[in-house]
Amino acid sequence: MRLALQSLTTLLTITLLAFSAAAPALAEKLVSAVSSSRVAITSNFTGTQILVYGEIARDAETVSRTGNQDVVVVVEGPLERVTTWRKDRIVGLWINATSQTYIAVPSFYAVHATDDLRNIASEDWLKQYRIGLENLPLAALGTRAPATERKAFKEAFLRDRVQHGLYSQMSKSINFLSPTLFSTTVDLPATIPTGDYKVTTFLFSGGVLLDSQEQVLTVAKIGFEQVTFNLSRQYPAVYGALAIILALFTGWIAGVIFKKD
Amino acid sequence: MQIYLPIAELPINVFMIFAMGGTVGFLSGLFGIGGGFLLTPLLIFSGIPPAVSVATVTTQIVASSASGVLSYWRKAGIDFKLAGVLLCSGVIGSALGVWIFGILQRLGQLDLVISLAYVTFLGTIGVLMLGESMKAIMRRKSGKEPAGRRPGQHNWVHGLPFKVRFRRSKLYVSVIPIFGIGSSIGFLGSVLGIGGGFMMVPALIYLLRVPANIVIGTSLLQILATMAVATFLHAINTQSVDIVLALTLMIGGVIGAQFGAQVGQGMRGEHLRLGLGLLVLLVGLRFAFNLVVEPEDLYSVSVIEEPVK
Repeated sequence: MRLALQSLTTLLTITLLAFSAAAPALAEKLVSAVSSSRVAITSNFTGTQILVYGEIARDAETVSRTGNQDVVVVVEGPLERVTTWRKDRIVGLWINATSQTYIAVPSFYAVHATDDLRNIASEDWLKQYRIGLENLPLAALGTRAPATERKAFKEAFLRDRVQHGLYSQMSKSINFLSPTLFSTTVDLPATIPTGDYKVTTFLFSGGVLLDSQEQVLTVAKIGFEQVTFNLSRQYPAVYGALAIILALFTGWIAGVIFKKD
Repeated sequence: MQIYLPIAELPINVFMIFAMGGTVGFLSGLFGIGGGFLLTPLLIFSGIPPAVSVATVTTQIVASSASGVLSYWRKAGIDFKLAGVLLCSGVIGSALGVWIFGILQRLGQLDLVISLAYVTFLGTIGVLMLGESMKAIMRRKSGKEPAGRRPGQHNWVHGLPFKVRFRRSKLYVSVIPIFGIGSSIGFLGSVLGIGGGFMMVPALIYLLRVPANIVIGTSLLQILATMAVATFLHAINTQSVDIVLALTLMIGGVIGAQFGAQVGQGMRGEHLRLGLGLLVLLVGLRFAFNLVVEPEDLYSVSVIEEPVK
């Protein structure tokens, strides 16, 4: 008992020292990268995959840890404002009746890990770093609904996003190529929103966060899709006029081709 | 072959859309209608957001009515003055429609209103058409001559003030009912993504007594112009006109319409109206079904579009 206490104190001292003095030099460091920093949406875009890989770098003097080392990769899309509706039966018709609005939820969210999340770190850690679907901060805007109802809405929202392939959580989906090299592929479905994505890699050991790294992934329409979309947003009048001219032209051409007399 | 739609922001099978446009085009050629009321629901049921479906079909209708307008123009089958009055009122109606469309979208009730409106209008018109065509078929079977429409016959509409003369249609009627017809069809068109030809033609014939050889050309021209305005307003207001989707639908549609028109020429008018009535009623029932039967998932998620910076 005494011995155990003593060793714990020693360990604590070492850890404290490590964090205060020369933290990076002593602890494991994480080096990670994304296969491409840009996803281009073109006319034949039907979704894609990105590869997130990296290495847990150890200094020569670092004592190799006995505890498990866990890597978590989180891909988060640009934040958006979302309303979840629930239909209720009103005078015999199923109508959108109650709603909850979440501000600033990720439009895309994927978490890959080497193990079940609850084996990797405590809920407090996971909540703090927004790791895991249940740990996303989904606070409804100005609602006084009871907790059970809020939970039902939250579950429905997550279910919808998972069904559409926009949210995913996969444990044991990161492969170790060697004791220090890891990689995982994240599916990006065809319906992903455009914008800047955050790819964060976390290194946990024994429930403690050792290091994390962040990369930016840009999802953007290019070429014709980009021109069309930008035109429709920046010059909607021109876009509308073009649509009309295109329609008139098609109709006219058809009239000329199929003219009988 | 999948193609990415730049405004709807999802990929779709281009052959499926092409086939949809073709089928609806065939039916529209067969029955002499625009087919928006079929196309919009088909697009919605195949997973395209309702806003994009409605706005894009307005563009498709411009194309499908354009070739019709050209051929009626050549045959002098258009009353430009009547079409002009209908158009002015149609523009007011569709401006109102696009505005309300935006509000409903923000309130999350757009789908409900679209469904309710489809049930009400298609249900009513389908039943009326069925009844009328059945009667016509019975009459023909019993050998009686159909009661022909007498051009001089007047109804309550002809007692209204602000009369205007329409030379081409040989009409002298009040502008009030014309304004009413034009604006309500413009309104419905932009909210529901339909041209409204299947409502406009009966209204012009039965309410205003427009001659049969003028009515289709005039209604097509009015639909073309109203839908062009609706496209423009949707492009500015809801920004959900998908030009790639529209073009695919147009090409399918204009080809299908040619075959439909050929088949339609070999069929009796009342049989065509019976078929159209059934079709209209079925689409209405399909929407009613969705409203009345408990949905599998009571919850739905909608992303609120950030205002454009």
